[in-house]
Amino acid sequence: MSQIRMRALAGVVGLGLALSACATTTGTGSAGSTGSSAPGTAGPAGANPNATLVVGITTDPNSLNPWKATQFQAVNVLETMYNSLTQFDKDLKVVPSLAESWTTAADGKTVTVKLRQGVTFADGSALDAADVKFSLDKIKDPATAAVAAASLASVTTVTVKDPATVELTLSGPDAALASNLASLNLSILPSEATDATYATAPNGTGPFQFVSRVPNQSVSVKRNDAYWGDKAKAAKLEFRVIPEESAIVSAVQSGNVHIASLKDPLVAKTASASNVTIVKTPQLNYHVLQLNATKGALTDVNVRLAIQCGIDRKQVLDTAALGEGEVTGPNTSPAYKSDPNARPCPTRDVAKAKDYLAKSGKTNVVVKTIVSQGEYATSVNEAQNVQAQLKDVGISLELEVMESGAYVKKWVAADFEAAIALNGGRPDPDGAYSRYFISTGNLNKVAGYSSPALDQLFAQGKATTDYTARKEIYKKVDAELENKAVWVWLFTGYGYTATAKGVSGFEPNPTGSFRSLAATGVS
Amino acid sequence: MSQPLDLPSAEASEPPLPPRRWWRGLLRTPSGIAGAVVMVVLLALSVTSWLGLTPYDPVAQNAAIRLQAPSGTHLFGTDLFGRDIFSRSVAGLANSVRVAVLAVAAAAFVGVLAGLLGGYFRGVTDAVSGGIANILFAFPPLLLALTLASVLQRTWVTVALAIAVVYVPIFYRVTRGPVLSLREREFVKAAVSTGQRPIETALRHVLPNVSGLVVVQIALSLSWAVLTEAALSFLGLGTPPPAPSLGSMIFEAKNTAVLAPWTLYAPGVVVVLLVAALNLVGDALRDVLDPREEGR
Amino acid sequence: MRFLQHPGVARLVTSLATLAGVAVLVFVMLRAIPGDQITANLGTEAAALTPEQLAALEAYYGIDQPLVVQFFTWLGQVFQGNLGFSSRAQLPVWDLIAMTAPVTLELALLSIVIALAVGVPIGMLAASGRDKARDLVGQAIALVGLSIPAFLLATVLLTSSSTAWQFNPNGLGYAAPWVDLGLNLQQMLMPALTLGLGIAAPIIRTTRTAVLDIRGLDFIRTAKAKGVGPQLLQRRHILRNALVPIVTMTGLQFGYLLGGAVVVEQVFSLPGIGRQVLIGIQQKEYAVVQSTVLIIAVAFVLVNLVTDAVYRLVDPRVRAA
Repeated sequence: MSQIRMRALAGVVGLGLALSACATTTGTGSAGSTGSSAPGTAGPAGANPNATLVVGITTDPNSLNPWKATQFQAVNVLETMYNSLTQFDKDLKVVPSLAESWTTAADGKTVTVKLRQGVTFADGSALDAADVKFSLDKIKDPATAAVAAASLASVTTVTVKDPATVELTLSGPDAALASNLASLNLSILPSEATDATYATAPNGTGPFQFVSRVPNQSVSVKRNDAYWGDKAKAAKLEFRVIPEESAIVSAVQSGNVHIASLKDPLVAKTASASNVTIVKTPQLNYHVLQLNATKGALTDVNVRLAIQCGIDRKQVLDTAALGEGEVTGPNTSPAYKSDPNARPCPTRDVAKAKDYLAKSGKTNVVVKTIVSQGEYATSVNEAQNVQAQLKDVGISLELEVMESGAYVKKWVAADFEAAIALNGGRPDPDGAYSRYFISTGNLNKVAGYSSPALDQLFAQGKATTDYTARKEIYKKVDAELENKAVWVWLFTGYGYTATAKGVSGFEPNPTGSFRSLAATGVS
Repeated sequence: MSQPLDLPSAEASEPPLPPRRWWRGLLRTPSGIAGAVVMVVLLALSVTSWLGLTPYDPVAQNAAIRLQAPSGTHLFGTDLFGRDIFSRSVAGLANSVRVAVLAVAAAAFVGVLAGLLGGYFRGVTDAVSGGIANILFAFPPLLLALTLASVLQRTWVTVALAIAVVYVPIFYRVTRGPVLSLREREFVKAAVSTGQRPIETALRHVLPNVSGLVVVQIALSLSWAVLTEAALSFLGLGTPPPAPSLGSMIFEAKNTAVLAPWTLYAPGVVVVLLVAALNLVGDALRDVLDPREEGR
Repeated sequence: MRFLQHPGVARLVTSLATLAGVAVLVFVMLRAIPGDQITANLGTEAAALTPEQLAALEAYYGIDQPLVVQFFTWLGQVFQGNLGFSSRAQLPVWDLIAMTAPVTLELALLSIVIALAVGVPIGMLAASGRDKARDLVGQAIALVGLSIPAFLLATVLLTSSSTAWQFNPNGLGYAAPWVDLGLNLQQMLMPALTLGLGIAAPIIRTTRTAVLDIRGLDFIRTAKAKGVGPQLLQRRHILRNALVPIVTMTGLQFGYLLGGAVVVEQVFSLPGIGRQVLIGIQQKEYAVVQSTVLIIAVAFVLVNLVTDAVYRLVDPRVRAA
């Protein structure tokens, strides 16, 4: 039953429609690029073009509205039907999608987007600039309650220049914009869409089209033969609801389900021992012990450093997640990956921890820690292990294990001293952390820390598009976060994909995206 | 309740007067003896857990000895986190016992009181208690328990109380029926005529005579309470981790059962033994205290 | 007001009052669970909502009104036949119930069939050889049935059948009986077995007691003395009379089936009404849970009314009370 839901995959973006040659340039700046629209090449060996690919999911999508979907099952289903202006390729670089090319003015305050030609929605209507303006305006409108509205915070106006060109006026340079635009939550919908229609009958530009849905049982989509990119390999997809991950594994074993994404490392380990093909992919999501530096003993940086030094992150990984993952620093995206050892205590050092604690002058420190149960598989075991380790330092974690609803309520209200959390990572570090650690960020209260230094660094990072420069800037951000032990980053885990015999072409993605389903075939 | 129940009628019925030293009746039949013996063994094990005397710490994890089959050092083997399953089963058993005892004690206390007062004093008290009992009865039992368990901050106490709410109506009905007829009996009328306060009559004369039925119901309810707690833990709504619960152990074992069957069967056998023993004891008691059911 | 004295009417009134109480109780309990539909949908991303967005969402889900208003709006709609709308499924609750109730009903029916098919013969067997081996075995089976939790049996069945015999029909999408009867019955097999074995136990006991009771009765002795053969005796006289308490006991298990079905539906991926309520609670879809629980309560009350009436008609001890 426990719905292993990944929180905060909002704004986590999709993967490029891999397979054949899509000329890629990092679309940050000048010359655009063309996506290949050559007709589908020969698919994976033996793939049956008339087959229905069955995808196992543990719960029904809780929304068919791409602007509101955060639950990962909903995101996976909707990714097959919708596109955004940009997308990620398999190396998580930003590449064109519905936007064929884009140019940014010298002062960074205007972005001109040229739309791809010949794109149609599932109902046959053509994509034009009016649809883009409609979508972006709607996302910014508070009444829509779109989850990614903050990604467009820097966009002041959207203007239609001509049916194939849209101009975005920004309040200031935003280097993360192209990356943020790649999210499912910023999908382009037709301007005739209304709340009622797109929640019941999704109408997008993606490689698949909505066919039908039986609540709590399945969602079916079929190949879009008018798709602008590579046509899907399978004729139909059926997302089948099977509530237990272990039951999904049984179904994959018997060939009833062709492919499924598993989150629980324990299930995955058992599955691979039972001869089910499992591919594991490092994920962008990170497991972290969040500390609220505005509360109690944690206001003292020495206490926080004591906590940092008292935890052996590898041990947490090994005990809670069976070693399935890697120890991590703040940034998890490959292009900006943090050095997990760039911190005051790269490994556990109880003596140093005790020193820090002594420096703080506090003894018998008690930290109330909230832990969710059922949200994801490893939370309770991580909490237990961290608690056991910190005991040796003289810090006592008072664990409050609570059910998802209660946990979310406290987390959202920042009503905690510490929290064991699994947060969504993003390819762009500004997208991942600016809303937490900028003093005006909408999640800053939850983050519990801000400083003028961080504000400045993030502003710099946003203002320049030069990759090398940005890398340096975010390294400094990492340093600040780790040296002040703002949070204790623990590890990143793996995402697991189980495939049955005869399935080929699927490329798993660190963001957990299932866009690669378009390239997947079954014999 | 995750097992079917025999619903007593709320109407008046003639209660037998319980024989003295009814617990001797327990030991009259082989099944009663078996049940009692198993109960004692399980209780002794629970006590070892409460005293912290289990062979290993039930929550201590040790990644090096994962999923080991039962052996000399680990009687029931180890689970996915290297925890000793025997110690965990004993701790889970102890947890089931205390949740069940608290749940049934609370339910019995409230239910019997309501049934006694409602049946004896009738009128508004009866109408109100009866109404509440009917409402609770109309809820599918497991759904009621899991909704309640979701409301409160979860500790073993609140889980027990959530289960108690489900069983209050049964104790109410078990008590009320006999009380209705008892109050017409000679000795009660005699007590009333001596000017004894009604509440005293109710407690001193009427209550002891329904005690037999209540005792039987307590024994039966204990087994249902154990099963309900396990079912709640299985659904993720029972005793919160890391305290082991037989139900959550079975839930976790779902994934490892294929590789390591002992992770599923150890807690499974313990829970079946506990419930079976409680049922046997309950039956034996019923034979003694409720001869209306003669012919069993 | 004399007609209110009539036992039938009185029961009806109490039943209505009970249902009203159920409505209030479920409404209050749901609101007491921490979190709401917004946090259930968005999880921690709900923290990123601006106050305007939050207000818009609350208005959309109808949770911005005062509680009393919400309660009476819901009740008012129910009386007009509108059980509410599930924004998650984008369907009226009525439609959801129409889809899920038949699944649970079929499961309940099949479970009862299995329970009777297993329980009655064993009960009769046990009664026929009282205190002999047959009796002991029968009682032992009943004990095992009572003691094995449904979720344990379900898990064991599912794991062993899919690994040992590669038999996992529940891994395929659920097939309604009118779509594919063969597959449907396969999918119902293990769930119905699990639940059926659970209620077989009280049925074994009731059968045994009823048969023993009747056997001792005069008219049976007369028939025996007249030379009626044992087979005919069993079937015509004993069984027919024992049927009544057996049937009433079966009716009483209905509530258990509705509750116990949740776990079985979960393990075997059956889209039944128990799972619908569970999901509704997790997703904090108040209308779905409230209306579904109310409908279940109505069904439960109806069944109890009928069973109670039959019970009273038949059992003179009760009638005299």
